[in-house]
Amino acid sequence: MNRKVDIRRLATGVPGLDEILGGGLPELSFNLIVGAPGSGKTTLAHQMMFALASAERPALYFNVLGEPPLKMLRYQQQFSFFDVAKINTVIRFVHLSDQVSASHFDQLLERITQEVEASSPGLVFVDSFRSLMLEAQRTSATSQQQFIQQLGIQLAGAQATTFLIGEYSSEGESSPVFAVADGLLVLEQSVRRNSMVRKLQVKKMRGQATSPGVHSFRITGDGISVFPSPVIAGDTGAARAGEPAPRSRERLAMGVARLDEMLGGGLPAGFSLLVAGPSGSGKTILATAFLAEGVRLGEPGVIVAFEQTPSRSRTHTIDDMVRAGCIGLINTRSLDLSIDEVVAQLLELIHHMKAKRVVIDSLSGFELAVAPTFREDFRESLFRMVAALSGLGVTVLMTSELEDRYTDLRFSPYGSAFLTDAIIVQRYIEIDSCLQRVLAVVKVRGSDHSKEIRRYEITEAGIVIGDPVLTYEGLLGGSPTQAAALATSAVNGDATHQGFDPAPGSADDGR
Amino acid sequence: MQREVIARTLAQRAGQAPDARAVAEASVSTWTQVSEQLAPVIGERGVEALFQRSLHLGSATYPWLAVAATEEPGVARLDRLRLRLVERDPGSAAEASALLLLTFSALLAAMIGDALTDKLLEPVWATPALDTKPENES
Repeated sequence: MNRKVDIRRLATGVPGLDEILGGGLPELSFNLIVGAPGSGKTTLAHQMMFALASAERPALYFNVLGEPPLKMLRYQQQFSFFDVAKINTVIRFVHLSDQVSASHFDQLLERITQEVEASSPGLVFVDSFRSLMLEAQRTSATSQQQFIQQLGIQLAGAQATTFLIGEYSSEGESSPVFAVADGLLVLEQSVRRNSMVRKLQVKKMRGQATSPGVHSFRITGDGISVFPSPVIAGDTGAARAGEPAPRSRERLAMGVARLDEMLGGGLPAGFSLLVAGPSGSGKTILATAFLAEGVRLGEPGVIVAFEQTPSRSRTHTIDDMVRAGCIGLINTRSLDLSIDEVVAQLLELIHHMKAKRVVIDSLSGFELAVAPTFREDFRESLFRMVAALSGLGVTVLMTSELEDRYTDLRFSPYGSAFLTDAIIVQRYIEIDSCLQRVLAVVKVRGSDHSKEIRRYEITEAGIVIGDPVLTYEGLLGGSPTQAAALATSAVNGDATHQGFDPAPGSADDGR
Repeated sequence: MQREVIARTLAQRAGQAPDARAVAEASVSTWTQVSEQLAPVIGERGVEALFQRSLHLGSATYPWLAVAATEEPGVARLDRLRLRLVERDPGSAAEASALLLLTFSALLAAMIGDALTDKLLEPVWATPALDTKPENES
């Protein structure tokens, strides 16, 4: 008996926006799009209008003291969504600014109503309602809230989905006005140092669960693309249902001889592995081997590269694999990225490539590429990213620059170590006035693994892991001393000037 | 192409062997339609600004157009144009009218592009007679 109304949700045509809105824009809703000048309000409105307008759902665009319409049309046309064929067929512009200056506000409202009645549009845009309201205050006793209310009621009665576009800063202004609306989209651009980042927030959308928080977006030749923050599976009970089956016992081969053995039989599928090491220790080479092994086994991969240029010799294999279409590459060096944007690209590429292995090289480069305004939240975003990736069931290898310190041992400057399921640390040590590389598997969650510290070399063929370094202690601290049992047979070397504590017989005589 | 469309529109509206008054009426009625089509989109001020600029540019060829551009309080701008046109011989009135419209549409196209200009002004132009469809239509 009591049948509930079914609200249709419209696809806005803005990538990422429907997701944030909770499935699209409710039909017949009354929405405000607010933001400072240049924040992308008109572009957002136009993009939605061109996507939504059709013969069944024509659009009416009232221009009220917004930007000069000639300029608006000139610039909006640069976007690919601007379809000239729709103008004057399914999209009609109504310029009202001439009337605004001449007539009273009530007449203006009357005029809008008349136009709406005359053409029965399914979509109505009023740009900008701010100027309309200022005019209303000047010429009539109607308050801003009453005005919005009147307009809202009239347009809802006319069976139209409505958008009012206005210059408002998101905070501190006329909240009663915002209270009347069903939906409130706030656009802002934040400038920090030398980077500018655009952000969008759905402050309100009646009748549906929107994605909370501030989402970054970018304006390109195709218009606006929003990058929704990844939703962490397990946030709600509902999300759990869609989660992939518990991690299998399957292990992935790393593509480096003896490393699988050190990891206790390979890297468990679905794990995230952090490879931390100082510059030049071979992190990228290890990551490349991981991807190459995947390709060999028919498991496509994706790499997000923030480091070397792809043409450099070390990454030739990456290049070759990308060209062969075996792995996907996101290579970016722009310094105004949002993490969500990278993650959105990454998730799309993973789906597209059906990737099983993902490499992020490196977190340090990633942090640098991210706009300063997001750096404060870097760890949090990283956490969301790792969670989103593990939700997909892909196996992730992240590299991280490790500062050379010889007094304490750190895994990562971000404290991101706890985010990952497994950790491999690479180090330089000094033996016989020579730098040598060693690595150790520090952690593999829920699995046995080797506790040995092994020397390795980087050759043309890649990483070659040698035997455990049994004769020394304190390797990870960088200042090895020969183990006591063997020290007696060692020949003393002159190592005092090298800056590490010269325990008796600390230098190796031979190797 | 625009040149032909404009010439054809004015010629059709002025009728056979028109005098200067007929040319002026054809011109004014075309301008009225242009204004009707464009004012909702770019505003009356937008139309006015482009019209004034067209008169100014046109006065390089026909100096008497400049007079039409000057302010004469109480007289609407199209009435001023009509007054100037009827004072001319039919030939130069027709040429000046065509030049004005052509300049105007070129100015508009420079702002908003050919495609949108064609789209917006399409209803203004007379459709070609059945047997004279232009070959180089693009």
